This record gives sequence, C-alpha cells and structure tokens, in this order.
Amino acid sequence: MDALTSALKVAASGLGAQSERLRVVSENLANAQSTGTAPGAEPYRRKTISFVAELDRATGGAMVEVNSIDRDPSAYPVEFQPGNEAADENGYVKMPNVNVLVEMADMNEANRSYQANLQVVKQARDLISMTIDLMRNQ
Amino acid sequence: MEPVNLFDLASKQSQWLSVRQSAVAGNIANANTPGYVATDVEPFEKLLDRTIVHMSATQSGHLGGGAAEAAYAVKPQESTGPAMPSKNTVVLENELMKAGEIRRSFELNTAIVKAFHAMMMSAVKG
Amino acid sequence: MISGIGALGLKPSFDSSGGSADLLPGGAAAPSGSAPATFAEAVSQAAARTVDTLETAEKMSIQALTGGADTRQVADAVMDAQQALQTTIAIRDKIVSAYLDISRMNI
Repeated sequence: MDALTSALKVAASGLGAQSERLRVVSENLANAQSTGTAPGAEPYRRKTISFVAELDRATGGAMVEVNSIDRDPSAYPVEFQPGNEAADENGYVKMPNVNVLVEMADMNEANRSYQANLQVVKQARDLISMTIDLMRNQ
Repeated sequence: MEPVNLFDLASKQSQWLSVRQSAVAGNIANANTPGYVATDVEPFEKLLDRTIVHMSATQSGHLGGGAAEAAYAVKPQESTGPAMPSKNTVVLENELMKAGEIRRSFELNTAIVKAFHAMMMSAVKG
Repeated sequence: MISGIGALGLKPSFDSSGGSADLLPGGAAAPSGSAPATFAEAVSQAAARTVDTLETAEKMSIQALTGGADTRQVADAVMDAQQALQTTIAIRDKIVSAYLDISRMNI
C-alpha cells in the first residue's frame, strides 16, 4: 500500500479515536448531576479514555486506538441536600466527580485534534487526486 | 554523477513527500497518545546523493518496488519545547505547518511533471 | 536534463567501439544490449523499448485495478508509455513518408 493511502488510514483512525473521546466527554457532561437513587448510594463515576499507538509494520503507519475506557478513581464531592432521595442520615449527598470546566476544556481539545485529523484526510485525498490527474487530459 | 532525469527525480521527491505525509499523519493521530514520540523523515537533500546512483543501476523493469527500494528512513525527531508529563512529543501546530509544506511541494512537483510531459508530447507531435 | 529523444532514449553511437549510456527514464534495457550500429538497428531497438514500456504500463495498470499498486508509479508508467508511443508514431510516420517519397522518384 502506498504511503498516501496509509496516511489516509492513519488519519481516519485518529478521527475515530477523537470521536470516542468526545463521546466519553458528553457522557460525563450529561451525567454531571446524576446522583444515586437510594440513601448513601454511589453517584455516576467519571469516565476517562486512554489511547495507544498501533504501528502497522506493513505500511509503516502509526494508527491510534482506544486502549481502554476507565473510571476516574478520585473521591466524590459531597453536597448538603437533605431533600435529595440519595441523602444520607446527615443530609449529605455524594455528587459525581465530574468537573464541568475540565470536561469543556477536554471537549475543546478533542475538537481541535479532530479538525487536525480531518485536515490530514482531506490533504491525503487531494494529493492522491493530483497524482491521478497527471495521467489526464492529453 | 550521471545526468539526472527530471521525471525520475520528481518521482523520488513524490515518494519522499508521501512518506513524510504518512509520518505527519501518524503524529497528528497520536497527538494525545501517552509516550508517543513524534517521527519525521530524513531531509530530501541527504537522500539525493545516495539514491540517485542506486536507482539508475537497478531501475530496469522494476514493478512496484518503489517503496521498498527507496526505504526513506522515518526516525524519531528531536523534541523541542517543554516535556509533557505524558512523554508525548507531538506539537500540533508544527505538524500542521509541515502538512502545509508537503502540500505546496507536492503541487509544485505534479505541476512540473505535467508541464514537461505536455512539452514532450507537443515536441514529438510536431 | 532530458536526454535522448523522449522516452526512447535514442542515442546513436558514431563509433562502433563505445557503448551508449542507457539514458532511459525507466524502461527496459535495450534488447541486444549493444550500441546500435546501423539506423535500422537503432529503430528496431527503439521499437522494442516502446513495446516494453507499453507492457510495463499495462502491467502496472492491471495491478492498480486489481490489487492496488503505488499510484505514482502507475502514473509514471502511463506517462512514459504515452511519450514512447507518441515518439514511435512520429518516427513511423516520417519513415513511411520518406519511403513513399523515394518510391515516387523518377528513375
């Protein structure tokens, strides 16, 4: 496989990885207030994603893959909400360990990386097109 | 050194640019991969002296051996700037700049080849 | 620099001892391997090279259609074939018209 097609595949894998990252961020944001339903129950635990490079021996391209989607082990913040159904005997509710600002920053980063990968896809496709164009119009 | 054939040289540069594009694509895709070291190809000038003589010796009738023969070395590039805690050395802006350079060089390359091909054709059509 | 005539690399040698440098941009080696001694030999060698160039282009195109070959190599092979064919056609036309001219000469 020639190098340009390999570049296309690598960039496509980047798009997939960043999409997964965006999905994880959106899950965290959507569940930023998801407490448990019973008194003292565990709330939503923040998800994290990690990537790993997949070196393709045949083409020499370094694709990226999702390594794993894990849970953030940090402690739950606690809020005083005695009316909440998940409140313990003192009226405190464990809240999800999601920081909205951190998630928004991550979302921006994921967008930026996604756009960069998209640019590579477009460029590789254009370069292949230019090469084929050499044979045209006599 | 033997006289250089324009089309051969353009082919070689195109191959080099493609390999570089692949390296840049890998860097951009792995911009968030922990421990990933950015890669780049050797400068084209370094390869010229070596490979031109080599290529003209083994050219005859070779099909599809371009990539294997040329074997443009992709090696880790020296990282500039502050080290990230994740040991990732990719700087996205630099990679995007490289991509721009690749595009310009590639457009020039194909334009030159097209122009000379057209000149040859009109010369023999007479 | 562009040497020889197009993709055929026609370079007549004027001394019988020296071998002409192979200036082909990527076609096959000359079939007889030696410098052409007569015009007829030069033309037949060039024709053989043209056929080889065309065959190479055809093989690369088939590879591109079926398995997947390197795009630039296919483009290069096709362009070489176009140049070689065009040159051969021009030479053929000249030879034919020269022959016709000669045949019309009054003896």
